Amino acid sequence: MNARGFTSDLLLGLIPIALLVAVWQALVSFGYAPVTLLPPPGQVFWRMLHQISSVTFQEEIAATLFRLFAGFSIAVILGVTVGLAAAVNPAINAVVRPIVRVLAPLPKVALYPALLLLVGFGHESKILLVTFDALFPILLSTYYGASTVEQKLIWSAMAAGTPPREVLFKVVLPAAAPSILTGCRIGLVISCIVVFLAEMITSTDGLGHVLVTAARTFQAVDMFVPLITISLLGLILNGLLELLRSYLLRGFPEV
Amino acid sequence: MMKRAAPFLACIGLLVIWQLASLALKNDSFPTAVEAIRAIPSILGDKDALVNFGASIRRMTIGFGVAVAVSIPLGLLMGRSRTVASFFNPLLMVIYPVPKAALMPIIMLWLGVGDLSKTLVIFLGVSLPVIYHSFEGAKAVEEKMLWSGAAMGLSAAQRMLRIVLPAALPEILTGCRTGLVLALITMITSEMIARQSGAGNILFNALDMGQYDTVFAMIIIIGAMGIGLDGLFERMRARLVHWSEPQFDIPLSFS
Repeated sequence: MNARGFTSDLLLGLIPIALLVAVWQALVSFGYAPVTLLPPPGQVFWRMLHQISSVTFQEEIAATLFRLFAGFSIAVILGVTVGLAAAVNPAINAVVRPIVRVLAPLPKVALYPALLLLVGFGHESKILLVTFDALFPILLSTYYGASTVEQKLIWSAMAAGTPPREVLFKVVLPAAAPSILTGCRIGLVISCIVVFLAEMITSTDGLGHVLVTAARTFQAVDMFVPLITISLLGLILNGLLELLRSYLLRGFPEV
Repeated sequence: MMKRAAPFLACIGLLVIWQLASLALKNDSFPTAVEAIRAIPSILGDKDALVNFGASIRRMTIGFGVAVAVSIPLGLLMGRSRTVASFFNPLLMVIYPVPKAALMPIIMLWLGVGDLSKTLVIFLGVSLPVIYHSFEGAKAVEEKMLWSGAAMGLSAAQRMLRIVLPAALPEILTGCRTGLVLALITMITSEMIARQSGAGNILFNALDMGQYDTVFAMIIIIGAMGIGLDGLFERMRARLVHWSEPQFDIPLSFS
């Protein structure tokens, strides 16, 4: 894509967002929505700037990010390991497949009360919930990616004298990488959503907690700030993952 | 035969692990599996609870149905036209990581706690993955098939309906499946936030009142709902796109 095409695409993409903000502003200025229910975008923006520079709000962000990363990393490690193992070993596959079939479609938020009762109200229950939710997309796409690796590649590596263990890391894992990274991307978005929800249900800190407190005291401005923050965090994390992806997949044909 | 029975065996295995864990922990707030299962009939026998379940399922069906009906055409259009894609992409990227159920407190202020706001939240939650997957599916349609179609005199709308839609169908259905799980999640969380009716309402009220066997029984019921819906969907999918099923059952061979 050339530079000019890119800028015009970007401008085109800004139109709906600008429209959304314009409609929002219009609703307020023409009095269709009372300011207490729908604060004007400018006010939300200033509040947002003010909040981001305050230490308490930064601590909330840090708490949310910590839970998000902890849960997501556990999910990546578990998901990739189990997914690879299931693709390679028929015995493990026979055990893992039915369990995944049962657990994957389960709405994990429903498990949250059980987690609360078992491991308490601290970080652990939220991290576990994030792990549970992010695990299955990663596991399934790892499994899918690894089991569709071309068999000839493995045979060639074996014929060239690579021991089976190394084939796994030098052939199967790199060949499955695009699929694994797609799974990670879905898992990351889900983690953002789930960590926020968990904090909304029970928490004493984090962005979700900020939203709930604002909702209980009818501070409409403060309700928008955490929502915009989590959206920005999601965008930034997604961008970082995209960078990692283009670094890891350098040399792959068009992915 | 064995393949059919495997998910049931997995269910039984998980319940047995639960039973053993709760016997070992001897924790008041962690009832055994048997106790939780015993509490199910009394919930399902209660007329109020059935009304609640009905309300949940109604909202979910409407939200899911409308979301799918809107998102598939939009996603397909985005996949085939670069202008449409660059118009909507940034907006969708911004909305994707926002937890849809977290919009609930804000939407509640405008639309009340009734069906409308909950259905809207479910709609938002389902539509994004469906749009994303339809987009990816339509983008990957082979150009030659479209050219052949055009050469044989199909109009643009006909090409969309008769070439792009069937070719993208496997990917679209993957999106719908993710959407189904998300619909369940948003259903439960929206009912948890606006405690008025529904399955999520029963679950979190029981948690607040310390009726732990009801909590765990509700988790089983909601889990069964998720697994049942997923099974139904899988069956429909197998009918529609049996031609594209990946051959998962052959494990990679290392010999």
